[in-house]
Amino acid sequence: MKDISLVRILPQEPRVPFINVRAIAAVFSVLAIIASIFLFSTRGLNYGIDFTGGTVIEINTNEDPDDEAIRNALIDMGFTGASVQGIQPPVGALDQDGNPITHRLMRIGLQLADESGEEGQGAQQAALERVKTGLEERIGEFYVRNTEVVGSQVSGELRRKGIMSVALALLMVLGYIWFRFEWQFGLGAVFALAHDVILTIGVFSLTQIEFNLTIIAAILTIVGYSLNDTVIVYDRIRENLRKFKKKPLPEVLNIAINDTLSRTILTSVTTLLALIALYILGGSALKGFSFAMIWGVFVGTYSSIFVASPLLLALKLKRGVNTGGERADV
Amino acid sequence: MLFFSRSKILMICGAVFIGLLLAIPNVLSESRRESLPGPFQRTINLGLDLQGGAHMLLEVDLSSILSQALINERLAVNDALKNAEDRPRTEFIRVDDGSILVRLRTKEDADKSMPLLQTLVRPIDPSQISSAKTTRIARESDKNIRVTITDENIEYIRKQTIEKSIGVLGRRIDPNGNLELILAPEGDKRILLQVPGAQNIKEIKERINKSANLSFHLVNEKDSTNEQVMRVAMEPPHRVAAGDKYFPFSEANGRGGGLIVKERTRITGDCLKDSSGGPHPENSGAVVNFSFNVACATEFGKMTARNINKRFAVILDGEVITAPNIRSAITGGSGYIEGGFTLESARDLALLLNAGALPAKLTIVEERTVDPSLGADSIRAGKVASGIGLLGVAIFMWLSYGLRFGTIANLALTTNIILIAAALSLFGSTLTLPGIAGIILTIGMAVDANVLIFERIREETYNGKTPINAIQTGYERSMAPILDANITTLIAAITLYFVGSGPVRGFAVTLAIGIVMSVFTAVIFARLLTATWLRGKRPKTLPI
Repeated sequence: MKDISLVRILPQEPRVPFINVRAIAAVFSVLAIIASIFLFSTRGLNYGIDFTGGTVIEINTNEDPDDEAIRNALIDMGFTGASVQGIQPPVGALDQDGNPITHRLMRIGLQLADESGEEGQGAQQAALERVKTGLEERIGEFYVRNTEVVGSQVSGELRRKGIMSVALALLMVLGYIWFRFEWQFGLGAVFALAHDVILTIGVFSLTQIEFNLTIIAAILTIVGYSLNDTVIVYDRIRENLRKFKKKPLPEVLNIAINDTLSRTILTSVTTLLALIALYILGGSALKGFSFAMIWGVFVGTYSSIFVASPLLLALKLKRGVNTGGERADV
Repeated sequence: MLFFSRSKILMICGAVFIGLLLAIPNVLSESRRESLPGPFQRTINLGLDLQGGAHMLLEVDLSSILSQALINERLAVNDALKNAEDRPRTEFIRVDDGSILVRLRTKEDADKSMPLLQTLVRPIDPSQISSAKTTRIARESDKNIRVTITDENIEYIRKQTIEKSIGVLGRRIDPNGNLELILAPEGDKRILLQVPGAQNIKEIKERINKSANLSFHLVNEKDSTNEQVMRVAMEPPHRVAAGDKYFPFSEANGRGGGLIVKERTRITGDCLKDSSGGPHPENSGAVVNFSFNVACATEFGKMTARNINKRFAVILDGEVITAPNIRSAITGGSGYIEGGFTLESARDLALLLNAGALPAKLTIVEERTVDPSLGADSIRAGKVASGIGLLGVAIFMWLSYGLRFGTIANLALTTNIILIAAALSLFGSTLTLPGIAGIILTIGMAVDANVLIFERIREETYNGKTPINAIQTGYERSMAPILDANITTLIAAITLYFVGSGPVRGFAVTLAIGIVMSVFTAVIFARLLTATWLRGKRPKTLPI
């Protein structure tokens, strides 16, 4: 049997001068970071109830819901700050009786101004019951598919834990890379990761897509993915530093980036293929997560080429023991 | 790198084969599964967001328990000093800044008090004399003595309260024990409650909210004249004479107003041996039948014998549900409570009473309830998305690396997914919706190790190495980056597991398992496939 000739996407030895455009990339990255911080401090994030506390229910009204009627019914009941949002059911969704759902479902969010302490927490549960019975009277029967109530105390803890987990992950990664490579690599990788995290927060601030616990999970996965990319480029840099002892540092870096380029692109494509399937077919619950991850694949790939590697030059990488010597073999 | 001993081959193939066996039950029907041997009956444990159910976080009101403990301690201090033969003269005994401050008249009084108060210091665990003590007595100045509940005792009270609450909740929500409840302490003052499947959430919440504190009190007939009671009822905080307490009538009782009763009583819910709801023996209503344990039956007999033609009030959660007249001494230790019940509400109350009273008030601070139909939708969507993702990646790998190496990569990928399913089934870890996302993400990322290796082989071939040499170097040189890259991702996943909660943890678990399995399948299993192919074919050029 003869093998099919494969599709060559890239030339065998590409020599794209990535390192030469590092000044442009630096300006671009710094501007993007400033923009993200600016957006975050002015527009903020559209926090979900995980972080703000509140109540969200998802209902099936058995026909395409009348947004305006539901909104008015809620105002009528005194829930003026309620949010009403129609959502597409996931592919092949069935209702409680096993019939396909062909209409939109309704997501109703209530942000009670809940004073902390007992009364506020009890109020959440009481309001939930009032909404259910009150809505039933006004718009007819519906079926509750999902209920989420998060008290203000819990949401505060989740917020703290979320920030802590991202910080902790960055710190541990710094430690590992420091141990495996030179300190410049560790610092370079963590800078690149912080760059990715900041830009992801920026894009969530820009698009105002709901920021909840699963987005924290996505950010940590982006950290993992981007690191994956960075470590592979770094590993090649370390190897090439031994191989090309005479070549200037920028050129060695550039060769390493080019050597790993086809792998970088192939893995990005396969990951994107899986994520796009998830984004389109996964239903509303995973939209935010897959969006964050798709963004993360682009940012992570960009940062390992244009941020992590040039940073080694800025951090004055030397051909030390770990990079030039025998230590590098596993 | 390319030589595998026979035993190694056996081990690798054996591991994959066992993985396959462990994964298969997930696609079998339940009846088929039951005919399999033990470890192969296990399937992936679905999280509440996939199978439907209620997840609740209940906060225990510990502060009220602790202030009650302080009040009791104050009473004990009072008793210890007042009941002494040579009674020290006190200025005051009061709760002050989380402890009890005793001020005596003179230094001599304080000297006398110290040994009396020392009797309050007892071991927390009576079976061990050396264990931590309940209370600490400290002389603050000549006339001041401070009595503090020790931190160890507070911790003991906290644990007891949580433990008892969990017991009571379990008996209340699942009296027959067939709901597969999860009830566990979470943090210092919370209880995690998980009820899988479609359940009547409203009913469960009602059972959580009721304390079911029952007690029998004598009515203070002198002060419970209508006029007196009306006056007290109109003016919160319902001030009454010391030793008395005002309780309003319950709604079901339907007469408004309330009663003034003697606060002290020994007949509480703890006395109950059994209770049940049933029809009223005389009219069409319903009653709660109860029987006391022996000690309380005696006590109740004495109390009723001494107070014939007076009333006693039955108080449930701060409301009078009934206040019958004592016609004769009740010595049998059993009876019934009427209070405008329906048969249903009588049965509900009996269930709560049998389960015991909650030691402290519980507040639902977090609730996530998913209908099983939504969970089924998520699973279906997850299957479709992973199927299409898998197909896309597989086609892409074939296009990139040709039939031979593409097939090796795709076989490794498929094995990877089978092994993830096997590990999830074996460890009984919970698959959540974000967990499905983790698997789909792994599909995309798992081929990374193979891509690295193949790219390296390609490079070595380009540099003029022979097929065997190229493959050999390709695998060798790829090991370091593969390990580094996967360990760092693993670090992120482990962090996520320890800091995250609920569904996010499920994601961390699948991600971590996926990483470990992908290294095995890409580095070991795919290498075995490559080596076998090499040995069989001995190709002159590599189709890569």
